[in-house]
Formats: sequence, structure tokens, C-alpha cells
Amino acid sequence: MPLDYRRFNGPEDSVSYKRFTKDYLKSYSELYNNLIDEKGRRKDGRALEEARSMCMFFARTDMVSQAKGSAYIELKKTKAVCSVFDPREIPHQNEFSQLGQLFCEVKFAPFSCPNQRRTHAPDADEKALSVALRQALEPTVCRHLFPNYQIDVFVYILENDGSCLAAAINAAGLALANAAVPMYDIITACSVAVIGEKMFVDPTEAEEHLAMMTPEKEGTNHGIITMSMLSELKQVSDFTQIGSMDTDCVTKAIEILEKECENIVPNIQKVLVLNVVQCIEQRKQLEEEAKEREQALNAKMEEWKQLLNSG
Amino acid sequence: MAGLLLSETEKVFILHGVQDDYRSDGRSNIDYRPMELETDVVSHASGSARLRLANTDILVGVKTEIDVPKPDKPDSGRIEFFVDCSANATPEFEGRGGEQLASSISNLMQRAYHSSQAFNLKQLCIFEGKQCWKLYIDILILECGGNLCDAVSLAVKAALFNTRIPFVKAALMDGGNVDLQLSDDPYDSKLLDVGSAPLLVTLCKIGENCVVDPSAEEESCSVISLIVGVTGNRQYYTQEEETDKKTMEGKCTTIAMHGPGSVAPKTLKEAINQGIIAAKSLDEALGQALLRERQENIGFKKHSYGFLK
Amino acid sequence: MAEIYKLIHPVKYFNDYISRDIRPDGRKFHEQRNIKVNVNSLKTAEASAVVKCGNTTVVCGVQLELATPKAEEPELGFLVTNVELTPLCSSKYRPGPPSDNAQVQSYMLSDIFSNSKCIDLKDLCIVPDKLAWVVYCDIVCLDNDGSLVDACIIALMASLKTLSLPTVTYDPETEEIKVDPDVRTPLKVDGCPVATSFAVYKLTERNILLTDPSAYEEEMCGGLGAHFTVCLNKGLICGNHKFGGSHLLMENQEEVLKIAKERANLVVKVIDSCIKNEKSIDK
Repeated sequence: MPLDYRRFNGPEDSVSYKRFTKDYLKSYSELYNNLIDEKGRRKDGRALEEARSMCMFFARTDMVSQAKGSAYIELKKTKAVCSVFDPREIPHQNEFSQLGQLFCEVKFAPFSCPNQRRTHAPDADEKALSVALRQALEPTVCRHLFPNYQIDVFVYILENDGSCLAAAINAAGLALANAAVPMYDIITACSVAVIGEKMFVDPTEAEEHLAMMTPEKEGTNHGIITMSMLSELKQVSDFTQIGSMDTDCVTKAIEILEKECENIVPNIQKVLVLNVVQCIEQRKQLEEEAKEREQALNAKMEEWKQLLNSG
Repeated sequence: MAGLLLSETEKVFILHGVQDDYRSDGRSNIDYRPMELETDVVSHASGSARLRLANTDILVGVKTEIDVPKPDKPDSGRIEFFVDCSANATPEFEGRGGEQLASSISNLMQRAYHSSQAFNLKQLCIFEGKQCWKLYIDILILECGGNLCDAVSLAVKAALFNTRIPFVKAALMDGGNVDLQLSDDPYDSKLLDVGSAPLLVTLCKIGENCVVDPSAEEESCSVISLIVGVTGNRQYYTQEEETDKKTMEGKCTTIAMHGPGSVAPKTLKEAINQGIIAAKSLDEALGQALLRERQENIGFKKHSYGFLK
Repeated sequence: MAEIYKLIHPVKYFNDYISRDIRPDGRKFHEQRNIKVNVNSLKTAEASAVVKCGNTTVVCGVQLELATPKAEEPELGFLVTNVELTPLCSSKYRPGPPSDNAQVQSYMLSDIFSNSKCIDLKDLCIVPDKLAWVVYCDIVCLDNDGSLVDACIIALMASLKTLSLPTVTYDPETEEIKVDPDVRTPLKVDGCPVATSFAVYKLTERNILLTDPSAYEEEMCGGLGAHFTVCLNKGLICGNHKFGGSHLLMENQEEVLKIAKERANLVVKVIDSCIKNEKSIDK
């Protein structure tokens, strides 16, 4: 790889110290036993089908002052920031495009992954996430309203503890709504990790890592599925699966994810409603202040008039 | 497809055809168009294949190199996909136009081959933790006539089936170095086990139904397509009659959506099932064709058909 | 009304405020924005800090790697600092390689940091000529609302002060490396450089100094060009950057130094109390 002269680089042969710790390479069963305790609970205390949307979910808008709309989403440790900018003309394009376009970029912070430092240049992972994000958002945005324009959606993942595509889609949906981009429906996403018979809803990084590894027993299902939905319209806007699983497993996962996507909707709605309420209150306050000022001015005016008349 | 103009009535005609499972060119919804396949076309590559599906023309070459395995998977080899969209294929690929498509296809292939149930990377291991084979799969798109993903996955599987890897003996020397010994005989090589390698099936949603292998006209009637990667069945790829005829269920290795539209969950489930059925028949046909060609090869009766010879 | 006025007569709008001795966001000329620091909020990094100065938000994450030292400096470890201006922090930045602005910020930060000599690179060496730590400090800007360098330095220092290094055993015979992440020694940090930015605004004859300018004020003063940054470490100047723009009077300089000194003390106090709080929560 050519050296990047626009940044400061460390030595080329540097490796993460974690490779030399004693628990770097663990066997499959060891990792598996680390995930679930005897009672079938996960490491962070959740049940298998329990998503983080209920108790470990935090979302807010207006995170970035310079952006038109922005959002921040936290699923326990997974943290994603998203900002959306004003539509601008599509650069380097000669043809007229009837529909507006979305430009999406997902980027990991260099320090976002536990085992390895992320490179600054976009890698295949980030590109795939960006494509998936655009695929998920396209059906929900009223693109016919801004022909020949593009909306930039940037997502930055500060910490990756699993389900980062789902977090990115949720954050982007919220940021688009915050930026007052017309949309057909609220978009939500969730993912599930499959290991054998078990389905880990809203997996953590450790669970995802294990789901991507192939089990020792031949023919066992494993993999990750992420699905994004427009809940009101009952439409799936993006569906990505990786791993190896049979159809029954996929069908079951679709049902679980459908329900889970719906569960996230109230969370997003709450944030949006709160925003509207705040906005109205702020405006009311401003109007009141303006009225007071006007009254004061009017009073002054009357005074002057009286002075003039008398003088 | 640029420059393809369809009137509303033509679109309705196609849509009605799909509804009745009888498409405008006479196929049913899960039928492919006829295709041509030829293996071992590039003499410098370890394995190669050329596939022509209607107007889509794909050339795949497999290169093998010795590399160091990834530290977190010391007992596995590596596989990498590169897609090159030639500017000859379609005018849209000129300049950097094809780059996005190329990266999305290579990404899709990488994901489809990720699971070791689809392609076992352990067969590429030479010496655990030290040396392994790395397969570079170069996919050249010579002409683009729609349905690229399916054609690419078929050609890649055929090229891998054709790939020969030399036998290498490895011994651990002093100081942690590995000594590799390569046989002088070029025929002293092994074939890869690719029976379970996945095939991609693109399902194009037209109206309420999905069709496989859409023509350009059909593609313009659809806003969303679903790409399903399904593992192959090993028994189609060996001559020996296997004693235990257990039918291996095709498994999904990757699913992705493409296009600006969306689908209802019910349609999604149906489409995945349809994709698995289509993949099964496709896999069987590919296995037969490859075995027949190998047979011809052994008897030196092989004729070269392609433009490359 | 005010918004429209700002759009149509941007200079006049700004002048109206400045000539009445107040800034558009209601601050006085030398008033600074609130500083908020939060350490160790990211668990994937070895040490991390989130810093907010008003709206400006930066996150610093530290990661540790091992490498062989350079042949010409066998006793020194590595410390690599980079400032990333993500496209999401302002509409001015595009995705892709770092812009000129990001490079300037990166260089400035690294200059200030190495001049202050607050970290001895010899501490990062494990076995001379064989093994040394590489400390990657990535500073990411999430929201750029002016005075970026100030916030970056605070984030960097706060995270370095909480950083601890795992113990490493190196066997010179077999060249085997073993790391025990449970036994850690904190990194020695000597002092704490603090940067204070000023924007110089030329209003008719007199030059006005604005402390801790916001992005809007920076732009009104002519972008980064009219920026003046003073850095102090334990009362000593360790960096002084003035990029073009309007000239600075001698009498202003003393005033600037005084403000910077006060601010340095304040920032050090903020960082220390934040780390103390974090530690008490941990226990």
C-alpha cells in the first residue's frame, strides 16, 4: 500500500498488542460458553430474543450544530452519529435525473473496533455498509421532490459493539426526519445473529463474531441478518444476510425482525414528538418576547407623541 | 439499460405474462435463458472459465499464490475476488462508471463464499499458522447484457472446479521458517472441492411475482430485485454414485436487495424459496455440464469453441 | 427577521454587534464557551475522551500497538497523532483523503504536542532496538464550531492522562512476546499543554480580539487566516501560531498572554477533576 503523506503514519510493521495476550485465539466452544450462562441469559443480562431497544437504547437529535439534521444513537455500547446536509446539485453529472439521489457514507472511527485499528481509507466493509444504508433509505425518502439534487447522509460509528448497520439505519432515519426531509414512513432496522438453533436478537460484537465463524458440526446454521422496515407501510426496504442457513431459519428470522423493527418505532417517535413540542414552545417564547418588545416600543411612541403634542 | 424505451402497454403485457407464469419469450418464471460455458480457456491461469448468458459474457481466471494466513484464522487459506468491468461491456462503464458495480459484485461474492459450509478454506491450508494458498479470482466482464450476478457466480464456480493446485510438502525448519518443496511434475496436483460453492440467483420483482434471469425489457419493469446466494450440492459434481443419497438442502449464504423499491415481508419469503428452487436446478445443470467436459478432456476429444483459442 | 438580515448584510450584521461590544451569540469579547470533558466513555479504545467546547465536539481515542523501533532512534517509542475532520462535522468537508485544513490542524497539533515535551518517548520503549509501543491517538471532530485545536488538545491530554500500558515480557532468545493486559502501569505525563485561540477582527481602525471564536466568527474574520493560537504548558509558551490576516498590536499581546494563562489553569483543573470523578466512580 502506498504511504499516505497527508497523515502521520506509525511504523508499518506495528501490530495490536492483543495478539500477544493469552486469550487471543479461543476455541469455538469456549467462545460459545462465554456468551450464554446456564440459565440461557446473555452476558449483558438480556434474554435471547430481547433487543437493546427497550432498556439500553438512547437516541437524540440536533447533535451536530453545523448540519441541517443530525442524530445520535446508542445501543448500550454501540454508538453512531449521523448528520444530514442540505440538498445540493449532483456533482459531475450532465444528465438530468428525475429523482433526487441519496449519498450515504458509513465510516468507522479508527478506535471503534476492539481488536484491530481501522485504517483511514475506506475498506470493503465500510463500502458494503454504505451501499446497504443507501438501499435501506431510498424507498422511504420522497425523492421525486428534489430532482437533480442529492442529499448527503454521513454516519460515523464511534464504537462498534454489534448491529452497527441497524444502528446506522436508525440514526440516519432520525437525522433525515430531523432535517425535515420529506419521507413516506419512519424507518427502523434490527439485526439478528444465528448460531445453530439460537437466535440472538440485536447481537453484540462478540455474538456477531461467533455467528460469522463456522461451527464445527457440519450443516449447522450460522450467520447474521439485518433487516430494515417501513413499519406503517409493512415494507422491507433492505435485507442483508451473510453466513449459511436454511429457509426455515430465514423465515423465522424475518418474523422476529419484523416484530422487533416495530418495537423500535415508538422510541423514534418519542424523540421526534419531543422535538416538535420543544420547537413549538421555543417559538411561543420568542413570540411573547417580540410582543413585549413591541408593547414597550408602542408605549415609548405614545410618550413621544404626547410630548410632541404638548410641546 | 440505457436507451431502452418501453411504452405503458408493453409493460402491462410483460406484467400479465409474469402473472400467468408464461413470459414473453416463452419461459416460465424460474427458467434461465440458454447459456454457453467453457472451462480451461486461459492457459496461464490455474483455472479458468468463460460463460455467455444471452448477451452477458464473463471470463474468470483463478490465480494461486502462497501467502501467510490471517492471524485469527491460522488453519484457513484465503480467497479474494476482483471484478473488472471492461469499458467494452457497455458505454456506462467508461471512465470510472463501472467501479461501483464492480465493487458491489466482488463484495457480494466475498460474502457468499464467506461461510465454510459454502467453500471450505481449510483445503487451502499448507502449514497451519505459517503458509496457505491464496486464490485470486479475477472476473472480467466482457459484455453486459443484464443478470450479471448469476452469470458471475456460475463462471466462478466453473473456474474453481477447473482449478488445479500443485501438491506442496512443507516442513518446519529451525527458527520458525517453513521449507516448501514443490513437485517437478506439473500434473502432480489436486482439484478443489467446490461442490458446495454457492450460486447467486437474482429475482426480479415484477408486479406481485418474481422472475429469475430477467431480460432487459423485464428489468425495466421492475424497481427491486433480490439476490440470493444458495450453496450447491456436492453430489452433482462427482461421478461416483454416492451410497448415502441424502439430499443436501440448499442453504442461503447471502441475501441482498438491489434497486430503489421495497418488498412486503410475505413476498420476501416467497422469493427466497423460489430462489432456492431455481438455484437447485441451475446447480444440477452446471454439475452435469462440467462433468461432461471433464470427461471429454480426459479423452482428448475436447473441441475449443471460444474466441480465445 | 434577524436571520434574514444576517443573510443579506452579513458584514453589517456582524459589525452592528461588535460595535456594541458584544458578540452575536451573546458573549463578551473575551468570554469563553463552556468546556465539558468526559473520559473513558469508549470501551473499544485503550483510553478516550470526549470534549465539548460550546458546540465544538471532538472525540479522542487511543490505541496501542507494538513495533520495532527505528534503527536511527532505537530507544524511542512512537506516538502518532492525527486529526480527522469527518464530513459529518461541517458541510465544508467532503469524504475522501484529508483536506488541506485537516492537514494544517494535524500538523499544528503535533507541533504543539512535541514542543511541550509532556511525554517522553523513551518511556514508550520496551526493549531498545527490539520492541516499543506505538500509541495511536486519533482525534475525530464530530462538530466543528470553531477553535478546533483548543478542543483537540484538551481531548488528547485528557485521554493520555488516563492511559495505562499493559506489562510486556520479551524473551530475547526466542523473540517471543507476552502481554498481560491485567497488570498496567500508567503513562507518565509531564504537564499539560493548553491552547487558546483568538480571532482578530478588523473594525474600522481598531483590531478586536475575540477569544474562543465560533465557526461563524472565524469565517467573518477571514477563516483560519486571521487566527492566533497561544499554547502554554505549565506557564511556559510551547507554541505560538499566527496565520496571516490582520496584524496584532504589541499591547494586545500581553492581554492575550494573560487570558491564555488563566484559561490554561482552568482547563487543567477541569481535566483533573474529570479524571478524579471517573476514578471515584470506578471504585
